[in-house]
Amino acid sequence: MENEQNRLICRCEEITLEEIIQAIDNGCTSLNEIKRYTRAGMGLCQSRVCSRLIARIIAEKTGKPLDEIVPVTARPPSRPVRIDIFSPRGCNVKNS
Amino acid sequence: MVFTDVAVVGAGPAGLSAAIECAEAGANVILIDENTKPGGQLFKQIHKFFGSREHHAGVRGFRIGEELLLRARKLDIDVWLNCEVCGIYGGTELWIVKNRRESRRLKARKIILATGATENAVAFSGWTLPGVMGAGAAQTMINLHRVIPGNRVVMIGSGNVGVIVSYQLLQAGADVIAVVEAAPRLGGYGVHTAKLRRAGVPFFTSHTVLEARGKESVESVVIVRLDEYWKPVAGTEKELEADTVCIAAGLTPLIELAMLAGCEICFIPSLGGHVPVHDRRMRTSIESIYVAGDIAGVEEASTAMEEGRLSGIHASASLGLYSADKEEELSHQIWERLDVLRSGPFGEGRRKAKEKIISMKSMTQ
Amino acid sequence: MSRIAEHPILGPLKPSGREVSILVDGEEVIAYEGEMIAAALMASGRRVFRYTEKRREPRGLYCAIGRCTDCVMIVNGIPNVRTCVTPVEPGMIIETQRGIGRWGGGDHGIH
Repeated sequence: MENEQNRLICRCEEITLEEIIQAIDNGCTSLNEIKRYTRAGMGLCQSRVCSRLIARIIAEKTGKPLDEIVPVTARPPSRPVRIDIFSPRGCNVKNS
Repeated sequence: MVFTDVAVVGAGPAGLSAAIECAEAGANVILIDENTKPGGQLFKQIHKFFGSREHHAGVRGFRIGEELLLRARKLDIDVWLNCEVCGIYGGTELWIVKNRRESRRLKARKIILATGATENAVAFSGWTLPGVMGAGAAQTMINLHRVIPGNRVVMIGSGNVGVIVSYQLLQAGADVIAVVEAAPRLGGYGVHTAKLRRAGVPFFTSHTVLEARGKESVESVVIVRLDEYWKPVAGTEKELEADTVCIAAGLTPLIELAMLAGCEICFIPSLGGHVPVHDRRMRTSIESIYVAGDIAGVEEASTAMEEGRLSGIHASASLGLYSADKEEELSHQIWERLDVLRSGPFGEGRRKAKEKIISMKSMTQ
Repeated sequence: MSRIAEHPILGPLKPSGREVSILVDGEEVIAYEGEMIAAALMASGRRVFRYTEKRREPRGLYCAIGRCTDCVMIVNGIPNVRTCVTPVEPGMIIETQRGIGRWGGGDHGIH
């Protein structure tokens, strides 16, 4: 069996349970802190898959109640978009 | 910039119902969805719904979807498909990306967020292997795309989604070799569970998936018994030959647009986690923004449709399209139906949880 | 991993469009125009859509509705395309993505 600590939690950034626990041991107690410290939740899916898993790990490790572990800060764009969408040329290009 | 009275985000059961109510009230409404077709998750629901007759009991989900689309078409509702809402500003402005390459801005006097929910994960060893997927993903594959995602399936979770999708996998021609439930008791409605039992599908209560094994994709799945403290019991591991694991571990409301808008949120575990605080009119802490359906707390498609209608009626009334008396009358009818849907052993907890949210809203006002 | 030709409730398969040919890692695959790329690939027996950047592990379809982004591939030279929500067009060139992918496609040598 794959080492338990080596088990992935964040699929996109490939962050393991061990890395999340290390971050908590080093003082992270929120999803935003874990995200900045480890990159978990910073990948293409923007924490949609792993944030609940990480919230539960924080709660288990620190005793912090789940209702106090708020979702990561939401920022636009809320869907993955191509960077050229931001250029004036990109806005109306039909066949790029 | 395009201007409209009401913008509805998400064309699932809640959003479609909301848009229909707004259009019937006489509002200009634009219904936005990121998919190529409207209907949300309704078109993959091929089982018959429960409830009373006005709740479409006995009607299959996709038929309800067809009915809603027909009504939306008759009302000439403007549906923007392939449109992803990427930002929300000042409570009234949406940044939309169409076809992944065209930016559009839309200003609405009222916005109804009906963005639905997303599936929860279970992070066992090997859960990233191809062949491990959400139960909803498997359901999308078989009922919408008509492709079997695997031949021998282990289902995690015996709640309604787990047992309904298991049965639909059998209907599609796959084998479900185990339904694994961490709790000591099964979670789904008896009717759905019984169908699986009759088909000979084994249930493993107080069990969990320890590991999915395989080189390039799932080849076998190790399950293990859990003790009364939900800890794996060493020596009880069983390796099952399987190529697919489906995860049905509940849903979480998709609230990111509400958060982007700055709506106040609260934590209600029985409704799926964090949800935007809202009142009896489905209005959030931001006056111009309403919520409906799973974003406001995970329930069922039938409640989502009623909440959609509720949000549509109140958004229209706030635009002056209904008198206060008419608004109250229409709202009352829907609340009566919602109370029925939220009764019984499965509904009562949701009704109480909803009341809790609504009481929060009145406190903040 | 095959098409469901007959379904007890949904009836016979009604394809989303005409049969077209796409190229997947250089191999011809027959798909239906307008169906999602991921569905066409699964129907052809393919389950590995990409390999990850750090661990070089295989990934495939996970959420099927465009949220998890695990099924991204290089489509017509554009990396990180969510194949579960991108419809098939005739003659599409689809490549297994390695790591973060590369514009223009082709192997970028991490394997």
